Amino acid sequence: MLVQQLVNGVSLGAIYAVFAIGFTLVFGVMNVLNLSQGAVFMWGAYVGLEVVRTLALPLPLAILAAATAAGLLGVLSEVLVFRPLQRRGAHRWMGMVGGLALARILIGLAQEIFGTQVVRYPDNALAGAALELLGARLQLLQIVAIGAALLMVIALAALLRYTNVGRAIRTVAFSENVARLVGVPVDRIRLMTFFVSGALAGGAGVLWSLLFQSVSPFMGDGILLKGLTVLILGGLGNIVGALVGGVLLGLVEVASVVVVGSGYRDAVGFGIVLLILLTRPTGLFATRETTRA
Amino acid sequence: MASVTLSRRAVLTIGGAVALSGSAVFAQTTRVAKIGLVQSTTGGSAALYGIQQKQAIELAFAEINAANTLKDIKLEAIHADDGADRGQTVNIFQRLIRQDKVVAILGPTLSNSAFAADPIAQQAGIPVIASSNTAPNLTKMGDFIFRTSIPEDQVFPTVLRYAVQKRGIKKVALIYGLDDALTRGAHDVQKKAVTELGLEQVGIESYQRGDVDFSAQLTKIREQKPDAVILGTLAEEAAAILRQARQLGFDDKITFIGCNANISAKLFDLAGPAADGIIVGASWFEGYDSPRSKAFVAAYQKRYGSSPDIYAAQGYDAAYLLAEAIRRADDVTNSRLTRDKLASISDFEGVLGRFGWSADRDATVQPKVLIGDGKSKVFVAAATS
Amino acid sequence: MTDLFYAYHNVIDLCLLNSMLAFGCFILLGVNLFSLATGGLMAIGAYLSIWLTMQQGWSFAPALTAALVAASLAAFGLGSLVLRLRGDYFTMATLAFTEVVRIIALNWDSVTGGALGVFGIPQLTETWQLAGLLALVIYLIWAVRHSAVGERMRAIAADELAVSTAGHDVARFKLALFTASGAIAGLGGGLAAHLNMFIAPGDFGFLRSVDTVIAPVLGGVWNLAGPVIGASVLVVLPEALRFSAQMREILIGVTMLAVVLFLPAGLVGLPKLSRRRAAS
Repeated sequence: MLVQQLVNGVSLGAIYAVFAIGFTLVFGVMNVLNLSQGAVFMWGAYVGLEVVRTLALPLPLAILAAATAAGLLGVLSEVLVFRPLQRRGAHRWMGMVGGLALARILIGLAQEIFGTQVVRYPDNALAGAALELLGARLQLLQIVAIGAALLMVIALAALLRYTNVGRAIRTVAFSENVARLVGVPVDRIRLMTFFVSGALAGGAGVLWSLLFQSVSPFMGDGILLKGLTVLILGGLGNIVGALVGGVLLGLVEVASVVVVGSGYRDAVGFGIVLLILLTRPTGLFATRETTRA
Repeated sequence: MASVTLSRRAVLTIGGAVALSGSAVFAQTTRVAKIGLVQSTTGGSAALYGIQQKQAIELAFAEINAANTLKDIKLEAIHADDGADRGQTVNIFQRLIRQDKVVAILGPTLSNSAFAADPIAQQAGIPVIASSNTAPNLTKMGDFIFRTSIPEDQVFPTVLRYAVQKRGIKKVALIYGLDDALTRGAHDVQKKAVTELGLEQVGIESYQRGDVDFSAQLTKIREQKPDAVILGTLAEEAAAILRQARQLGFDDKITFIGCNANISAKLFDLAGPAADGIIVGASWFEGYDSPRSKAFVAAYQKRYGSSPDIYAAQGYDAAYLLAEAIRRADDVTNSRLTRDKLASISDFEGVLGRFGWSADRDATVQPKVLIGDGKSKVFVAAATS
Repeated sequence: MTDLFYAYHNVIDLCLLNSMLAFGCFILLGVNLFSLATGGLMAIGAYLSIWLTMQQGWSFAPALTAALVAASLAAFGLGSLVLRLRGDYFTMATLAFTEVVRIIALNWDSVTGGALGVFGIPQLTETWQLAGLLALVIYLIWAVRHSAVGERMRAIAADELAVSTAGHDVARFKLALFTASGAIAGLGGGLAAHLNMFIAPGDFGFLRSVDTVIAPVLGGVWNLAGPVIGASVLVVLPEALRFSAQMREILIGVTMLAVVLFLPAGLVGLPKLSRRRAAS
């Protein structure tokens, strides 16, 4: 049972991590908390579903399409909400409320277009396939989810470390003024960061709905809260922290079901956040915030 | 015959004229009974049940008006969406009663909303018929509150007894939605029934609305080796649980027993073959073999292009019950008289079967034990003997 | 006329109640604190007050007072722990508090009835009480803002560091404000519980906290009319948009977004803006 629960926790946590990394990236680079991220996640899931269902394209292409569409939604949130607010020098809570408003619009549109019913991805070769390992059943889908999550994280790390765009992103994260001085096209880099962040959310959306077979306009609300939790666990703006924090939250949730009882599952996650904040006021793996604040 | 045709045409003319110039002009020829229809069409999963009821009730009114069942009385539904938000339900009830001056109200969608809003109707003397509230004690709020949605405690004990008899169940585990009044209410009834039958309860797990990952809870349950898993869940959640249980290697010997809310085509859409063999109890199911029910399913499908669920059926019967009460009262404004006539209906032939009211104004519908057929995606009546 | 009043009775009540709650967030926003603790603090006030009126036979006024005191104490305790957190960390800690309270309420059946909630709560909250208490809250905040304390509030909002280096204890000042906001939330919780005859833990979660803090942001954070306008708009908007059930969500979102984008001072800035437009 222990091995099975570990598998459960890690595969859940891997998706939390992908979502949270997109979340934390925007925070780390631009000091923006984009609360429309949950709705972007949901749209990613629907785009993937439509691609699989109506265009009958294979799964990897669906993930790609979903990530691209969600990335564009990320870009939209920058152009529509965050850039104008930043230009105006608006208070950061304006951005938070703006993000929530955008989320409301996106959820409303999804209800209009896709209806309010819960739907799922059509059955495919992946579903149901499983292998026995140390007395646990490891579903192929779980392996795919964990693998895809790792792949996305590695791709992001490589992008940030080895490419010009990545270097530029890191410069903007260090300071927008410095970036401007050394000739980095800050506006374009911001757009790209929002694109990558949205794409990660959309990719997470497809993985999530594949694994749990559930797509609905409201699916982003829950993950938004989880994402915020991971953000704090890992330290705002800390990408490695978000990866570790995501997996950690998955494991903590599973452990709380086993040890404390499922009625307190979410309370344990939030309780740990409170405890961590009280002992380490900037999260478990705090690095970024010190340079930000 | 000719006169019938004439009056139909007259109705059509009136309908057109009403739309153009307001109802006052024709008040003498046609009386309009205004009925509040409070169903959530937005606001998350509540909208699933709300839309079905709204559609079924509007279908019923259209049929009744077209058939001239109430002679010169026309039924007019005033629909308002409460967004599954209780504050808004109260707003709507007050407006319907004080401003629109409705004679009765059908709804609201959620039990929680009913607990806040029904007392307003009770105070004002406006009858309310609920068709999806299943919380215990709902109709105890007052003698103006009726419901066609039968509460879980009228259904589940029968279902569990059937399962114990047929499958020899001794050890059970329960899983339910912690933060939803409907699933929590179902769970309380289920737990009580388990105790009363003297079954061994090996575990209780819960989750919260919006959760889609049940693997941790199910892994724990599998370890406790129950003969049956009892679901206090909504249909979507039941589907996910069934699916994930199979993926985790639950074998076919473990029986799943569901609740009222699981009677939905959605269960099969989402769970597929994993829903095979699930035992549930309900007041109605799509394949129910009665002429009235079959006619309803056909009419609903024709008008909306989709299948009605149990809430639609209950809403449809609520609409016809109210129409019958208005017919007997022969009055479109006297809500107290309408209430008394409604209470006096004792032998109603509805989609749910033949029923009347209990002392607490709950519909006395005979529960049906059903078994899921995952391949044909339908529920079939269990052979009770 | 009376019928018209009764038709919109609850709308009026909710406007008054939510305006009052919004002031709890308003005073915190004034010193740069974006708190999501409202839901949790309200829950404490609500459950304590109904336990007192329904189980202990207390009358309404003392029960409300107890709700106010209990929530202030809770806010004091929470504030002493989390006020040293910065910015978004503070916001997250208050959100975690609200969610933990909600989940405890869900599991604590004997007091809260779990998800089934508590029904049959006596309807003791009257419109005039809501109006009177709202007026009182506004007066108190007005009086404070026009005193030396108000000066310091504005100074903290402008430059916290400068105020603390000038030898003022910013932390204690913030704690006092947070406690006051807890008092408002507790009072609001007690009033809310006795308004609609029914409460359940879901009434006091993330959404409640977000709605309450959004109200002053939409209405205007620097003007005493802001919370009232913001909260009232958030209550009335869903009613006004009822003509279009499906588009409603989208239109509410669009309205919120438009305010954020085009009205830097919130809805209170609307007349000024339109006057400027007319002049130019």
